[in-house]
Amino acid sequence: MGNIRENRLVHLIGIGTMSIAFLIFYAFILVFVNINYWTEKQGKTLSMSIYFKEEPDSAVIENIKKELFVFPGVTVKQFVSKDDAMKSLRRKLGEKAGLLDGLKQNPLPASLEITLSRDKGGDNLPYQLKKRLEKSSVVDEVHYTQEWIKKFQAIMEVIKIVGVIFGGLLFLAALFIITNTIKLTIYSRKEEIEILKLVGATNCFVKIPFMIEGSIQGLLGGAVALFALFLAYIIAITRIDISIGFASFNIVFLSPYIILFLLLMSVIIGFIGSTISLGRFF
Amino acid sequence: MIQLFQVYKNFGSKNPALLDINLTVKKGEFVFITGPSGAGKTTLLKIIFCAERPTSGNVLVHGRNLNRIKERDLSLLRRRIGVVFQDFKLLPRRNVFENVALALEIIGFPLPMIRKKVHQTLRYLSLTNKEGYYPPQLSGGEQQRVAIARAIVNNPLILLADEPTGNLDPDLTMEIMALLKEIHIRGTTVLVATHSKELLKGTTRRIVTLNKGRIV
Repeated sequence: MGNIRENRLVHLIGIGTMSIAFLIFYAFILVFVNINYWTEKQGKTLSMSIYFKEEPDSAVIENIKKELFVFPGVTVKQFVSKDDAMKSLRRKLGEKAGLLDGLKQNPLPASLEITLSRDKGGDNLPYQLKKRLEKSSVVDEVHYTQEWIKKFQAIMEVIKIVGVIFGGLLFLAALFIITNTIKLTIYSRKEEIEILKLVGATNCFVKIPFMIEGSIQGLLGGAVALFALFLAYIIAITRIDISIGFASFNIVFLSPYIILFLLLMSVIIGFIGSTISLGRFF
Repeated sequence: MIQLFQVYKNFGSKNPALLDINLTVKKGEFVFITGPSGAGKTTLLKIIFCAERPTSGNVLVHGRNLNRIKERDLSLLRRRIGVVFQDFKLLPRRNVFENVALALEIIGFPLPMIRKKVHQTLRYLSLTNKEGYYPPQLSGGEQQRVAIARAIVNNPLILLADEPTGNLDPDLTMEIMALLKEIHIRGTTVLVATHSKELLKGTTRRIVTLNKGRIV
Protein backbone atom coordinates (compact mmCIF):
# COMPACT_ATOMS: atom_id res chain seq x y z
CA MET A 1 0.00 0.00 0.00
CA GLY A 2 3.00 2.23 0.70
CA ASN A 3 4.18 1.87 -2.86
CA ILE A 4 0.67 2.57 -4.21
CA ARG A 5 0.56 5.76 -2.12
CA GLU A 6 4.04 6.78 -3.31
CA ASN A 7 3.21 6.29 -7.00
CA ARG A 8 -0.32 7.62 -6.61
CA LEU A 9 -0.78 9.04 -10.11
CA VAL A 10 0.57 6.02 -11.98
CA HIS A 11 -1.57 3.73 -9.87
CA LEU A 12 -4.68 5.87 -10.24
CA ILE A 13 -4.31 5.78 -14.01
CA GLY A 14 -3.67 2.05 -13.80
CA ILE A 15 -6.70 1.37 -11.62
CA GLY A 16 -8.86 3.59 -13.87
CA THR A 17 -7.81 1.70 -16.99
CA MET A 18 -8.32 -1.63 -15.28
CA SER A 19 -11.77 -0.56 -14.08
CA ILE A 20 -12.85 0.21 -17.65
CA ALA A 21 -11.56 -3.15 -18.87
CA PHE A 22 -13.31 -4.94 -16.00
CA LEU A 23 -16.51 -2.91 -16.48
CA ILE A 24 -16.89 -4.06 -20.09
CA PHE A 25 -16.36 -7.66 -19.03
CA TYR A 26 -18.71 -7.42 -16.03
CA ALA A 27 -21.43 -5.67 -18.06
CA PHE A 28 -21.32 -8.58 -20.46
CA ILE A 29 -21.64 -11.02 -17.55
CA LEU A 30 -24.58 -9.04 -16.14
CA VAL A 31 -26.44 -9.19 -19.46
CA PHE A 32 -25.68 -12.87 -19.79
CA VAL A 33 -26.77 -13.65 -16.22
CA ASN A 34 -30.03 -11.75 -16.71
CA ILE A 35 -30.95 -13.50 -19.94
CA ASN A 36 -30.17 -16.85 -18.35
CA TYR A 37 -32.08 -16.04 -15.15
CA TRP A 38 -35.10 -14.84 -17.06
CA THR A 39 -35.40 -17.87 -19.33
CA GLU A 40 -34.89 -20.19 -16.36
CA LYS A 41 -37.62 -18.40 -14.43
CA GLN A 42 -40.05 -18.33 -17.31
CA GLY A 43 -39.36 -21.91 -18.15
CA LYS A 44 -40.17 -23.21 -14.67
CA THR A 45 -43.71 -21.89 -14.41
CA LEU A 46 -45.56 -21.42 -17.58
CA SER A 47 -48.46 -18.99 -17.99
CA MET A 48 -51.42 -19.93 -20.12
CA SER A 49 -54.36 -17.77 -21.18
CA ILE A 50 -57.60 -19.41 -22.30
CA TYR A 51 -59.65 -16.96 -24.36
CA PHE A 52 -63.40 -17.47 -24.61
CA LYS A 53 -65.56 -16.81 -27.64
CA GLU A 54 -68.27 -15.15 -25.52
CA GLU A 55 -68.42 -14.00 -21.91
CA PRO A 56 -68.83 -17.36 -20.12
CA ASP A 57 -71.18 -17.90 -17.19
CA SER A 58 -69.92 -19.45 -13.93
CA ALA A 59 -71.09 -22.95 -14.92
CA VAL A 60 -68.92 -22.84 -18.06
CA ILE A 61 -65.93 -21.63 -16.04
CA GLU A 62 -66.45 -24.39 -13.49
CA ASN A 63 -66.62 -27.00 -16.25
CA ILE A 64 -63.37 -25.75 -17.75
CA LYS A 65 -61.76 -25.75 -14.30
CA LYS A 66 -62.83 -29.37 -13.74
CA GLU A 67 -61.33 -30.26 -17.06
CA LEU A 68 -58.09 -28.48 -16.14
CA PHE A 69 -57.64 -30.11 -12.76
CA VAL A 70 -57.32 -33.50 -14.43
CA PHE A 71 -53.84 -32.38 -15.45
CA PRO A 72 -51.06 -32.32 -12.83
CA GLY A 73 -49.44 -29.05 -11.78
CA VAL A 74 -52.27 -26.79 -13.03
CA THR A 75 -53.17 -23.75 -10.91
CA VAL A 76 -56.01 -21.43 -11.82
CA LYS A 77 -54.90 -17.86 -11.22
CA GLN A 78 -57.89 -15.73 -12.15
CA PHE A 79 -60.82 -15.26 -14.44
CA VAL A 80 -60.66 -12.02 -16.40
CA SER A 81 -64.05 -10.87 -17.68
CA LYS A 82 -64.43 -8.70 -20.79
CA ASP A 83 -64.97 -5.69 -18.51
CA ASP A 84 -61.92 -6.51 -16.41
CA ALA A 85 -59.84 -6.81 -19.57
CA MET A 86 -61.07 -3.41 -20.73
CA LYS A 87 -60.37 -1.84 -17.32
CA SER A 88 -56.91 -3.31 -17.33
CA LEU A 89 -56.28 -1.96 -20.83
CA ARG A 90 -57.51 1.49 -19.81
CA ARG A 91 -55.17 1.43 -16.84
CA LYS A 92 -52.26 0.50 -19.05
CA LEU A 93 -53.05 3.20 -21.58
CA GLY A 94 -53.30 5.82 -18.83
CA GLU A 95 -53.84 9.27 -20.35
CA LYS A 96 -54.46 7.78 -23.77
CA ALA A 97 -57.38 5.68 -22.50
CA GLY A 98 -59.73 8.14 -24.20
CA LEU A 99 -58.91 6.43 -27.48
CA LEU A 100 -61.10 3.53 -26.36
CA ASP A 101 -64.18 5.73 -25.89
CA GLY A 102 -65.03 5.51 -29.57
CA LEU A 103 -65.56 1.76 -29.44
CA LYS A 104 -69.21 0.71 -29.76
CA GLN A 105 -68.65 -2.63 -28.10
CA ASN A 106 -65.90 -4.23 -26.05
CA PRO A 107 -63.73 -6.25 -28.46
CA LEU A 108 -61.59 -7.82 -25.75
CA PRO A 109 -62.25 -11.48 -24.96
CA ALA A 110 -62.80 -12.87 -21.48
CA SER A 111 -60.04 -15.18 -20.37
CA LEU A 112 -58.96 -17.62 -17.72
CA GLU A 113 -55.35 -17.23 -16.57
CA ILE A 114 -53.65 -20.39 -15.38
CA THR A 115 -50.13 -21.50 -14.61
CA LEU A 116 -48.51 -24.86 -15.19
CA SER A 117 -45.61 -26.28 -13.25
CA ARG A 118 -43.01 -27.65 -15.65
CA ASP A 119 -41.62 -29.97 -12.97
CA LYS A 120 -44.91 -31.83 -12.49
CA GLY A 121 -46.53 -31.77 -15.88
CA GLY A 122 -43.69 -32.60 -18.22
CA ASP A 123 -42.68 -30.83 -21.39
CA ASN A 124 -45.58 -32.08 -23.48
CA LEU A 125 -48.37 -30.98 -21.12
CA PRO A 126 -48.95 -27.45 -22.44
CA TYR A 127 -49.35 -28.72 -25.96
CA GLN A 128 -51.79 -31.47 -24.93
CA LEU A 129 -53.78 -29.01 -22.86
CA LYS A 130 -53.94 -26.45 -25.65
CA LYS A 131 -55.13 -29.07 -28.14
CA ARG A 132 -57.82 -30.34 -25.77
CA LEU A 133 -59.11 -26.90 -24.76
CA GLU A 134 -59.27 -25.60 -28.31
CA LYS A 135 -61.66 -28.43 -29.16
CA SER A 136 -64.16 -26.96 -26.70
CA SER A 137 -67.01 -24.97 -28.30
CA VAL A 138 -66.69 -22.10 -25.81
CA VAL A 139 -62.92 -21.61 -26.15
CA ASP A 140 -61.63 -19.40 -28.91
CA GLU A 141 -57.85 -19.55 -28.50
CA VAL A 142 -55.20 -20.75 -26.04
CA HIS A 143 -51.89 -18.94 -25.71
CA TYR A 144 -48.91 -19.96 -23.62
CA THR A 145 -45.43 -18.59 -23.12
CA GLN A 146 -43.56 -21.82 -23.71
CA GLU A 147 -44.08 -21.63 -27.46
CA TRP A 148 -41.70 -18.76 -27.81
CA ILE A 149 -39.61 -19.61 -24.74
CA LYS A 150 -38.67 -22.84 -26.54
CA LYS A 151 -37.51 -20.81 -29.50
CA PHE A 152 -35.82 -18.44 -27.12
CA GLN A 153 -34.07 -21.29 -25.35
CA ALA A 154 -32.67 -22.49 -28.65
CA ILE A 155 -31.37 -18.98 -29.22
CA MET A 156 -29.98 -19.04 -25.65
CA GLU A 157 -27.96 -22.14 -26.47
CA VAL A 158 -26.37 -20.22 -29.34
CA ILE A 159 -25.94 -17.16 -27.11
CA LYS A 160 -24.23 -19.37 -24.51
CA ILE A 161 -21.67 -20.60 -27.02
CA VAL A 162 -21.15 -17.11 -28.43
CA GLY A 163 -21.03 -15.86 -24.82
CA VAL A 164 -18.25 -18.23 -23.85
CA ILE A 165 -16.21 -17.23 -26.92
CA PHE A 166 -16.96 -13.51 -26.57
CA GLY A 167 -16.49 -13.63 -22.77
CA GLY A 168 -13.20 -15.45 -23.26
CA LEU A 169 -12.03 -12.84 -25.74
CA LEU A 170 -13.11 -10.04 -23.40
CA PHE A 171 -11.27 -11.77 -20.57
CA LEU A 172 -8.11 -11.95 -22.69
CA ALA A 173 -8.52 -8.30 -23.71
CA ALA A 174 -8.92 -7.31 -20.03
CA LEU A 175 -5.86 -9.37 -19.14
CA PHE A 176 -3.88 -7.74 -21.96
CA ILE A 177 -4.89 -4.21 -20.90
CA ILE A 178 -4.20 -4.98 -17.25
CA THR A 179 -0.84 -6.59 -17.97
CA ASN A 180 0.22 -3.52 -19.89
CA THR A 181 -1.10 -1.19 -17.21
CA ILE A 182 0.85 -3.02 -14.52
CA LYS A 183 3.86 -3.06 -16.84
CA LEU A 184 3.69 0.73 -16.84
CA THR A 185 3.71 0.92 -13.05
CA ILE A 186 6.56 -1.57 -12.89
CA TYR A 187 8.43 0.29 -15.61
CA SER A 188 8.18 3.48 -13.56
CA ARG A 189 10.14 1.62 -10.88
CA LYS A 190 12.58 -0.12 -13.19
CA GLU A 191 15.55 1.56 -11.52
CA GLU A 192 14.45 0.44 -8.09
CA ILE A 193 14.21 -3.16 -9.29
CA GLU A 194 17.68 -2.91 -10.82
CA ILE A 195 19.18 -1.51 -7.59
CA LEU A 196 17.48 -4.14 -5.46
CA LYS A 197 18.92 -6.88 -7.65
CA LEU A 198 22.39 -5.33 -7.64
CA VAL A 199 22.53 -5.20 -3.86
CA GLY A 200 21.68 -8.89 -3.67
CA ALA A 201 17.89 -9.12 -3.44
CA THR A 202 16.53 -12.47 -4.56
CA ASN A 203 13.96 -12.54 -7.35
CA CYS A 204 11.25 -13.42 -4.83
CA PHE A 205 12.16 -10.44 -2.63
CA VAL A 206 11.71 -8.11 -5.61
CA LYS A 207 8.74 -9.85 -7.24
CA ILE A 208 6.46 -10.49 -4.27
CA PRO A 209 5.68 -6.81 -3.46
CA PHE A 210 4.86 -6.20 -7.14
CA MET A 211 2.61 -9.26 -7.22
CA ILE A 212 0.81 -8.07 -4.08
CA GLU A 213 0.58 -4.61 -5.61
CA GLY A 214 -0.85 -6.06 -8.85
CA SER A 215 -3.41 -8.06 -6.87
CA ILE A 216 -4.46 -4.96 -4.87
CA GLN A 217 -4.69 -2.99 -8.11
CA GLY A 218 -6.83 -5.77 -9.57
CA LEU A 219 -9.09 -5.80 -6.51
CA LEU A 220 -9.52 -2.00 -6.53
CA GLY A 221 -10.08 -1.96 -10.32
CA GLY A 222 -12.67 -4.74 -9.98
CA ALA A 223 -14.41 -3.04 -7.05
CA VAL A 224 -14.62 0.29 -8.92
CA ALA A 225 -15.99 -1.51 -12.00
CA LEU A 226 -18.61 -3.34 -9.93
CA PHE A 227 -19.64 -0.10 -8.25
CA ALA A 228 -19.99 1.63 -11.64
CA LEU A 229 -21.99 -1.33 -12.93
CA PHE A 230 -24.25 -1.17 -9.87
CA LEU A 231 -24.89 2.53 -10.48
CA ALA A 232 -25.73 1.78 -14.12
CA TYR A 233 -28.06 -0.99 -12.91
CA ILE A 234 -29.87 1.38 -10.51
CA ILE A 235 -30.36 3.86 -13.34
CA ALA A 236 -31.55 1.07 -15.65
CA ILE A 237 -34.18 -0.31 -13.25
CA THR A 238 -35.60 3.11 -12.44
CA ARG A 239 -35.76 4.39 -16.01
CA ILE A 240 -36.21 1.39 -18.26
CA ASP A 241 -39.27 -0.86 -18.33
CA ILE A 242 -38.64 -3.91 -20.42
CA SER A 243 -41.39 -6.35 -21.28
CA ILE A 244 -41.29 -9.18 -23.73
CA GLY A 245 -44.65 -10.59 -24.77
CA PHE A 246 -46.77 -10.64 -21.63
CA ALA A 247 -43.87 -11.58 -19.40
CA SER A 248 -42.22 -8.57 -17.83
CA PHE A 249 -38.42 -8.55 -17.65
CA ASN A 250 -37.04 -7.67 -14.23
CA ILE A 251 -33.32 -6.84 -14.41
CA VAL A 252 -31.50 -8.51 -11.55
CA PHE A 253 -28.04 -7.51 -10.32
CA LEU A 254 -25.25 -10.01 -9.88
CA SER A 255 -25.69 -12.30 -6.89
CA PRO A 256 -23.29 -11.93 -3.90
CA TYR A 257 -21.60 -15.17 -4.97
CA ILE A 258 -20.97 -13.87 -8.47
CA ILE A 259 -19.72 -10.55 -7.02
CA LEU A 260 -17.32 -12.42 -4.75
CA PHE A 261 -16.23 -14.59 -7.66
CA LEU A 262 -15.63 -11.54 -9.88
CA LEU A 263 -13.66 -9.76 -7.15
CA LEU A 264 -11.57 -12.87 -6.65
CA MET A 265 -11.08 -13.06 -10.41
CA SER A 266 -9.97 -9.39 -10.44
CA VAL A 267 -7.34 -10.23 -7.83
CA ILE A 268 -6.21 -13.24 -9.86
CA ILE A 269 -6.05 -11.18 -13.09
CA GLY A 270 -4.02 -8.52 -11.23
CA PHE A 271 -1.71 -11.21 -9.91
CA ILE A 272 -1.30 -12.90 -13.31
CA GLY A 273 -0.86 -9.50 -14.96
CA SER A 274 1.93 -8.48 -12.62
CA THR A 275 3.61 -11.89 -12.95
CA ILE A 276 3.57 -11.63 -16.76
CA SER A 277 4.79 -8.01 -16.61
CA LEU A 278 7.64 -8.89 -14.26
CA GLY A 279 8.84 -11.57 -16.66
CA ARG A 280 10.81 -9.11 -18.75
CA PHE A 281 12.84 -7.91 -15.79
CA PHE A 282 13.99 -11.35 -14.64
CA MET B 1 39.43 -13.73 -3.85
CA ILE B 2 38.90 -12.48 -7.43
CA GLN B 3 40.32 -14.23 -10.50
CA LEU B 4 39.76 -13.37 -14.16
CA PHE B 5 41.02 -15.67 -16.91
CA GLN B 6 41.19 -14.51 -20.52
CA VAL B 7 38.10 -12.37 -20.13
CA TYR B 8 36.67 -10.71 -23.23
CA LYS B 9 33.67 -8.45 -23.32
CA ASN B 10 32.17 -7.20 -26.53
CA PHE B 11 29.02 -5.05 -26.61
CA GLY B 12 28.72 -5.56 -30.34
CA SER B 13 30.86 -2.69 -31.51
CA LYS B 14 34.11 -3.01 -33.48
CA ASN B 15 36.30 -2.51 -30.42
CA PRO B 16 35.72 -4.87 -27.49
CA ALA B 17 35.26 -3.27 -24.07
CA LEU B 18 37.65 -5.80 -22.51
CA LEU B 19 40.35 -7.89 -24.18
CA ASP B 20 42.18 -10.85 -22.73
CA ILE B 21 41.99 -9.74 -19.11
CA ASN B 22 43.91 -11.92 -16.67
CA LEU B 23 43.80 -10.60 -13.15
CA THR B 24 44.07 -12.01 -9.64
CA VAL B 25 43.19 -10.00 -6.55
CA LYS B 26 44.12 -11.62 -3.26
CA LYS B 27 42.05 -11.53 -0.10
CA GLY B 28 42.59 -8.28 1.81
CA GLU B 29 44.25 -6.48 -1.11
CA PHE B 30 43.60 -2.83 -2.03
CA VAL B 31 43.78 -2.38 -5.79
CA PHE B 32 43.32 0.68 -7.94
CA ILE B 33 41.96 0.06 -11.46
CA THR B 34 42.91 3.03 -13.52
CA GLY B 35 42.95 4.24 -17.09
CA PRO B 36 41.35 6.90 -19.26
CA SER B 37 37.60 7.19 -19.76
CA GLY B 38 36.34 4.30 -21.90
CA ALA B 39 39.27 2.06 -20.96
CA GLY B 40 36.92 -0.60 -19.54
CA LYS B 41 37.19 0.07 -15.78
CA THR B 42 33.44 0.12 -15.15
CA THR B 43 32.88 -2.92 -17.38
CA LEU B 44 35.53 -4.81 -15.40
CA LEU B 45 33.81 -4.01 -12.09
CA LYS B 46 30.41 -4.87 -13.58
CA ILE B 47 31.74 -8.27 -14.61
CA ILE B 48 33.06 -8.89 -11.10
CA PHE B 49 29.63 -8.29 -9.50
CA CYS B 50 27.90 -9.96 -12.42
CA ALA B 51 25.94 -6.98 -13.70
CA GLU B 52 27.50 -7.96 -17.05
CA ARG B 53 28.50 -11.40 -18.29
CA PRO B 54 31.81 -11.81 -20.11
CA THR B 55 31.60 -12.67 -23.82
CA SER B 56 34.26 -15.28 -23.15
CA GLY B 57 36.64 -16.26 -20.37
CA ASN B 58 36.08 -17.21 -16.75
CA VAL B 59 35.57 -15.14 -13.63
CA LEU B 60 35.92 -16.60 -10.14
CA VAL B 61 34.77 -14.57 -7.17
CA HIS B 62 35.14 -16.02 -3.69
CA GLY B 63 35.61 -19.42 -5.31
CA ARG B 64 32.44 -19.24 -7.45
CA ASN B 65 32.64 -19.41 -11.23
CA LEU B 66 30.30 -16.66 -12.39
CA ASN B 67 29.68 -18.41 -15.70
CA ARG B 68 28.02 -21.31 -13.91
CA ILE B 69 26.41 -19.53 -10.99
CA LYS B 70 22.67 -19.95 -10.44
CA GLU B 71 20.34 -16.96 -10.01
CA ARG B 72 19.76 -17.67 -6.30
CA ASP B 73 23.50 -18.11 -5.60
CA LEU B 74 24.22 -14.92 -7.49
CA SER B 75 21.99 -12.97 -5.08
CA LEU B 76 23.82 -14.56 -2.16
CA LEU B 77 27.20 -13.70 -3.68
CA ARG B 78 26.18 -10.09 -4.32
CA ARG B 79 25.39 -9.74 -0.63
CA ARG B 80 29.09 -10.37 0.05
CA ILE B 81 30.14 -7.70 -2.45
CA GLY B 82 29.56 -4.07 -1.57
CA VAL B 83 29.33 -1.80 -4.59
CA VAL B 84 29.66 1.98 -4.66
CA PHE B 85 28.26 3.04 -8.00
CA GLN B 86 29.52 5.97 -10.00
CA ASP B 87 26.00 7.43 -10.05
CA PHE B 88 25.37 6.31 -6.41
CA LYS B 89 22.18 4.41 -7.35
CA LEU B 90 20.29 5.54 -4.27
CA LEU B 91 16.53 5.16 -4.16
CA PRO B 92 15.17 8.71 -4.30
CA ARG B 93 11.92 7.90 -2.51
CA ARG B 94 13.66 6.26 0.44
CA ASN B 95 15.46 8.30 3.04
CA VAL B 96 19.09 7.81 4.08
CA PHE B 97 18.23 5.33 6.82
CA GLU B 98 16.00 3.28 4.48
CA ASN B 99 18.56 3.31 1.67
CA VAL B 100 21.24 1.92 3.97
CA ALA B 101 18.84 -0.51 5.65
CA LEU B 102 17.95 -1.96 2.22
CA ALA B 103 21.14 -4.04 2.12
CA LEU B 104 20.17 -5.68 5.43
CA GLU B 105 16.45 -6.00 4.69
CA ILE B 106 17.13 -8.18 1.66
CA ILE B 107 19.20 -10.52 3.82
CA GLY B 108 16.31 -10.77 6.25
CA PHE B 109 17.92 -9.21 9.32
CA PRO B 110 15.47 -8.57 12.18
CA LEU B 111 14.41 -4.93 12.54
CA PRO B 112 16.21 -4.18 15.86
CA MET B 113 19.45 -5.53 14.36
CA ILE B 114 18.90 -3.44 11.21
CA ARG B 115 18.44 -0.29 13.33
CA LYS B 116 21.58 -1.02 15.33
CA LYS B 117 23.82 -1.74 12.34
CA VAL B 118 22.50 1.17 10.25
CA HIS B 119 23.00 3.63 13.13
CA GLN B 120 26.52 2.32 13.69
CA THR B 121 27.38 2.71 9.98
CA LEU B 122 25.83 6.16 9.70
CA ARG B 123 27.79 7.27 12.77
CA TYR B 124 30.98 5.85 11.24
CA LEU B 125 30.35 7.90 8.08
CA SER B 126 29.23 11.02 10.00
CA LEU B 127 25.73 10.83 8.57
CA THR B 128 23.74 10.48 11.79
CA ASN B 129 22.11 13.89 11.42
CA LYS B 130 21.06 13.10 7.84
CA GLU B 131 19.25 9.82 8.35
CA GLY B 132 15.78 11.26 7.67
CA TYR B 133 16.88 13.11 4.53
CA TYR B 134 16.06 11.96 1.02
CA PRO B 135 18.88 11.66 -1.57
CA PRO B 136 17.80 14.72 -3.60
CA GLN B 137 18.16 16.79 -0.41
CA LEU B 138 21.82 15.78 0.01
CA SER B 139 25.03 17.12 -1.51
CA GLY B 140 27.13 14.96 -3.88
CA GLY B 141 29.59 14.12 -1.11
CA GLU B 142 26.80 13.14 1.27
CA GLN B 143 25.16 10.96 -1.36
CA GLN B 144 28.52 9.31 -1.98
CA ARG B 145 28.87 8.56 1.74
CA VAL B 146 25.33 7.11 1.83
CA ALA B 147 26.28 4.88 -1.11
CA ILE B 148 29.36 3.75 0.81
CA ALA B 149 27.29 3.18 3.94
CA ARG B 150 24.91 0.93 1.99
CA ALA B 151 27.86 -0.93 0.49
CA ILE B 152 29.57 -1.67 3.82
CA VAL B 153 26.68 -2.01 6.27
CA ASN B 154 26.62 -5.81 5.98
CA ASN B 155 30.41 -6.16 6.27
CA PRO B 156 31.09 -7.40 2.72
CA LEU B 157 34.13 -9.44 1.80
CA ILE B 158 34.76 -7.29 -1.24
CA LEU B 159 34.13 -3.58 -1.82
CA LEU B 160 34.00 -2.31 -5.41
CA ALA B 161 34.01 1.44 -5.84
CA ASP B 162 33.49 2.94 -9.29
CA GLU B 163 34.90 6.49 -9.46
CA PRO B 164 34.01 7.09 -5.81
CA THR B 165 35.47 10.59 -5.88
CA GLY B 166 34.36 11.41 -9.42
CA ASN B 167 32.49 14.63 -8.78
CA LEU B 168 33.90 15.62 -5.42
CA ASP B 169 36.15 18.51 -4.38
CA PRO B 170 39.69 17.72 -3.12
CA ASP B 171 38.71 17.82 0.59
CA LEU B 172 35.81 15.43 0.12
CA THR B 173 37.99 13.24 -2.11
CA MET B 174 40.52 12.86 0.72
CA GLU B 175 37.72 12.15 3.16
CA ILE B 176 36.21 9.39 0.98
CA MET B 177 39.64 7.86 0.31
CA ALA B 178 40.40 7.83 4.02
CA LEU B 179 37.13 5.99 4.56
CA LEU B 180 37.93 3.38 1.93
CA LYS B 181 41.35 2.81 3.49
CA GLU B 182 39.74 2.36 6.89
CA ILE B 183 37.30 -0.18 5.46
CA HIS B 184 40.28 -1.99 3.95
CA ILE B 185 42.09 -2.05 7.30
CA ARG B 186 39.03 -3.81 8.75
CA GLY B 187 39.76 -6.72 6.39
CA THR B 188 37.72 -5.97 3.27
CA THR B 189 39.23 -6.51 -0.18
CA VAL B 190 38.87 -3.18 -1.97
CA LEU B 191 38.90 -2.41 -5.71
CA VAL B 192 38.69 1.25 -6.68
CA ALA B 193 38.19 2.26 -10.29
CA THR B 194 39.39 5.80 -10.99
CA HIS B 195 40.69 7.88 -13.85
CA SER B 196 42.10 10.48 -11.41
CA LYS B 197 45.89 10.62 -11.48
CA GLU B 198 45.81 12.84 -8.39
CA LEU B 199 44.32 10.03 -6.39
CA LEU B 200 47.17 7.69 -7.27
CA LYS B 201 49.99 10.09 -6.48
CA GLY B 202 52.33 8.60 -3.92
CA THR B 203 50.17 5.53 -3.33
CA THR B 204 51.86 2.30 -2.35
CA ARG B 205 48.81 0.26 -3.38
CA ARG B 206 48.74 -2.00 -6.40
CA ILE B 207 47.66 -0.23 -9.56
CA VAL B 208 46.14 -2.06 -12.55
CA THR B 209 46.06 0.14 -15.64
CA LEU B 210 43.61 -0.45 -18.44
CA ASN B 211 43.78 1.04 -21.88
CA LYS B 212 41.36 0.27 -24.70
CA GLY B 213 40.15 -2.77 -22.81
CA ARG B 214 43.60 -4.28 -22.15
CA ILE B 215 45.73 -4.40 -19.02
CA VAL B 216 48.91 -2.48 -19.76
